[in-house]
Amino acid sequence: MRLRFLLSILLAWFAVEQASFGSAFSIRELGVRAQGMGGAFTAVADDASAIFFNPAGIAFQDGLQLEMDSLVVVGLFRFFPSITPPGTIVPEKGYHGSISPKFIPVGNLYLTKKINDRMTFGLGAFAPFGLAANFTNFNDGDPARGKYPGRFAGTRARLEVFWLQPTIAFKLSPNSSVAVGPAFIHTHLFYEQSILSPYDDGKTFGREVAEQLFPGQNPAEAARSIARLLPEGRFRLAGTANSAGVNLGYLYRHPGTHTNIGLSYRSGTAHHLKGKASFAFTDDSAIAPFLPESQTIEDLFPTQDAAGLFQTPATYNIGIANTALPGTTLAMDVTFQDYHRFRALPINFTQTSGTATPPERKIEFDFRNSVVVMAGIEKRMGEDMAVRAGFVFDHTPVPDKSTGPLFPDSSRFSLTLGASKRKGNTEFSVFYQAMNMVARTTNVTENNNQFTNGLYDNFVHLAGVGLRMYIGN
Amino acid sequence: MQTVYCRLKPRHPSRNLQLARVSALLVLFLLPAAPARAQVSFFDPTNFVVMGEGLAAGMADFGLRSVYQEKSFPAQMAQQMDVAFPQPLIQGGGIGSAPGFPSLPVRLPGPDQGAVRKDFPPQLFVFNLSVPGFRVSDALTRRPTPPLVQRNDELQSVTNLILGYPSLILKDKPLWTQAEYAQRMRPSLVLIELGYYDVLEAAATGDPSRLTSVENFRASYSDVLKAVRETDAALIVLTIPDPLDTAYFTPLDRASQNVLASAADLQALYNLRPDDLLTPNGLTAIALQLDANEIGPLPPGSVIGSDVAAQVRSRVGALNQVIQSLAQENGALVYDLHGLFARVRGSGLVVSDTRVLTRDYLGGFYSLNGYYPGATGHALIANEVLSLLNRTFGTSFPLIDLAQVAQDDPAVRFIPLKKPSSGELQ
Repeated sequence: MRLRFLLSILLAWFAVEQASFGSAFSIRELGVRAQGMGGAFTAVADDASAIFFNPAGIAFQDGLQLEMDSLVVVGLFRFFPSITPPGTIVPEKGYHGSISPKFIPVGNLYLTKKINDRMTFGLGAFAPFGLAANFTNFNDGDPARGKYPGRFAGTRARLEVFWLQPTIAFKLSPNSSVAVGPAFIHTHLFYEQSILSPYDDGKTFGREVAEQLFPGQNPAEAARSIARLLPEGRFRLAGTANSAGVNLGYLYRHPGTHTNIGLSYRSGTAHHLKGKASFAFTDDSAIAPFLPESQTIEDLFPTQDAAGLFQTPATYNIGIANTALPGTTLAMDVTFQDYHRFRALPINFTQTSGTATPPERKIEFDFRNSVVVMAGIEKRMGEDMAVRAGFVFDHTPVPDKSTGPLFPDSSRFSLTLGASKRKGNTEFSVFYQAMNMVARTTNVTENNNQFTNGLYDNFVHLAGVGLRMYIGN
Repeated sequence: MQTVYCRLKPRHPSRNLQLARVSALLVLFLLPAAPARAQVSFFDPTNFVVMGEGLAAGMADFGLRSVYQEKSFPAQMAQQMDVAFPQPLIQGGGIGSAPGFPSLPVRLPGPDQGAVRKDFPPQLFVFNLSVPGFRVSDALTRRPTPPLVQRNDELQSVTNLILGYPSLILKDKPLWTQAEYAQRMRPSLVLIELGYYDVLEAAATGDPSRLTSVENFRASYSDVLKAVRETDAALIVLTIPDPLDTAYFTPLDRASQNVLASAADLQALYNLRPDDLLTPNGLTAIALQLDANEIGPLPPGSVIGSDVAAQVRSRVGALNQVIQSLAQENGALVYDLHGLFARVRGSGLVVSDTRVLTRDYLGGFYSLNGYYPGATGHALIANEVLSLLNRTFGTSFPLIDLAQVAQDDPAVRFIPLKKPSSGELQ
């Protein structure tokens, strides 16, 4: 009966849409107790979410535990462009990002079961990477003056990277453990951007047909004019990938000083996406009625199978925690992510003959490595209650040139607060995180034609609830 | 926002200080940094579209033809701005007719013409949409209609060859009015030179009934501006020159250099009033009669009376007021072409140390029709509008060397050489 109940919860949890949010596209807030301490949990790792933070921690956990955490993100993203196309009317409060959905839920589930005194099994289902960017404030047929000017650098992106991670933790000694968690990774990526910008790719297209449309005119000048006569379009890529990864952990507890040291590693992954590329165009362009029936804009940009390669970074965590003060845990983590792996998103098209789709289109990002520093404190208030606080500094991996609608990112400082209340074998936890993203002004010459230079002024509220159950011995 | 003041229980001073510090830190943390917003919308002349009539089309002498179209002020502007500017270039003797001169039956293709349009294969679109003979209302209502050449309707034939080519020779292609065409070109810069023909035809024919009423002009011009405003293009409108400032209308005291007779003699011989104006037809007839010593009645259209002139001048002023006010309502830049023509009338145009163009008939500024400038006059207009753009948008479009243009300008070949006097335009 109890097993059936657990399975039903498990299935219901997977049915929840895993829309995500990330710093760049990392999601660290995958444990409510942990996040109350700012996420400094690598050396604490004393609940089932250790499967994510440091799987070696489950070696010290007794019985059967089930933990479910849910996170809600409300992002207030504003962009004030420093340069706009002529005629653009910039909203007084800038352009909003992530208008829809307004609330982004992220769920994760962990289960641990002690097998014997030295070995513990765990299973985690979580999304360590995700993205839900949306700067679409317009319909394609709207006048250009009201459209978000950076739309040619991207309008929407949605990334969901699910890890299903069975884990085995092994006690090396009474105070140290290691763990390995091979993971099956399922990735879904949706990417959308406007295309045929009069200031950018439309000119490339214009050069191809300049001689035919405006014979005798200077080809470069004609190309610029033709670019303005083209229909505006949207390109969408939706693809999925299945791949493998691994999570490793080590935890050492020093009883004399009440100090823990934890190390963990999550592998980087190459996600080989397969899916569909599609295009849609406005029907108000001057040029469309004059194209031959055998070569319409739609014929030039056919919907087709496409492939892509998406890289997620490896994550290295090191943490230290101390419980020398009565009823108090102090913890600090440093996380390093080799985001330099994410240089580009190459997209390979399959219909390249007689069309305008090239064999490969590469969207450059050139991220840099990132470091996150987290510190937290937990104060237990008697047997059943604990309160937490934490601080996070997260150095953005997104360079100025890639700061835009998909990654309106900047380094951020966070304050977190959390609490837990235990009743019987059930513990209920909450946390709140105020994330102040440092206002960022970009001024990259090559982005002038994409109109993504300007001020990014963001603030994010995160809140989570978690339920932890201890079942059996 | 309403501010609520609460009475607080007194606390220990140091604790209050600590709380204040923590509160201040939290407030600083939670408040997003005040954004420094400064948006710049750059000026982009890429699709420079011109709505106009004969002046902007490059009409000169007695027809619209490529030799002058290529020197029209919009074409010269486009060259300085380094933007493509496809035009409906017309072969040989051209198309259209000049008001005040005899109009001929529509015979196209004419002598020295093949396809009539010089650009073959044709430009898919043109950006100079100006049609000689267009009134403001035509910009909104007149669209190309088949057949391409209409022998009984010259204006429609000209419209077809400019706005309806190649659509009319293809199948099921859109046939746009001038305003629709401008919208479809997704212009980034639109120049409107409309209204001149609304007064020119009446002035040249001496028929005030052909003046467009102020009410109709306002309604049409307003609709034109609204149509252009929808494109988000930068917009420049030109005021209407006074035809009476041009070479088509010669005061008696200035006619002497053309006909070699004094104003007093002309008054006496032809029963003219001192403020009568002679047209080119009148000048030609007088010159021929004096040369043959056979004084007789002047042919119709030779003289424009002061009453007609006054009505034209008054209407030009009223229409320009409409343009000024509608431009302001629609955020358009205004270039005072009326003022430029008046200045040329007053002091001429100096193009070099040895060359001065005057407003006189055959004075070099105007072409043979008398009211449309030659290439150098167009270059002057182009420079004036480019200077306005440079001042307004901070651009640095280079200006045209007038002396160089004058060297190849057919209209300049007729002027006498003289030294410039002070106050003449440079």
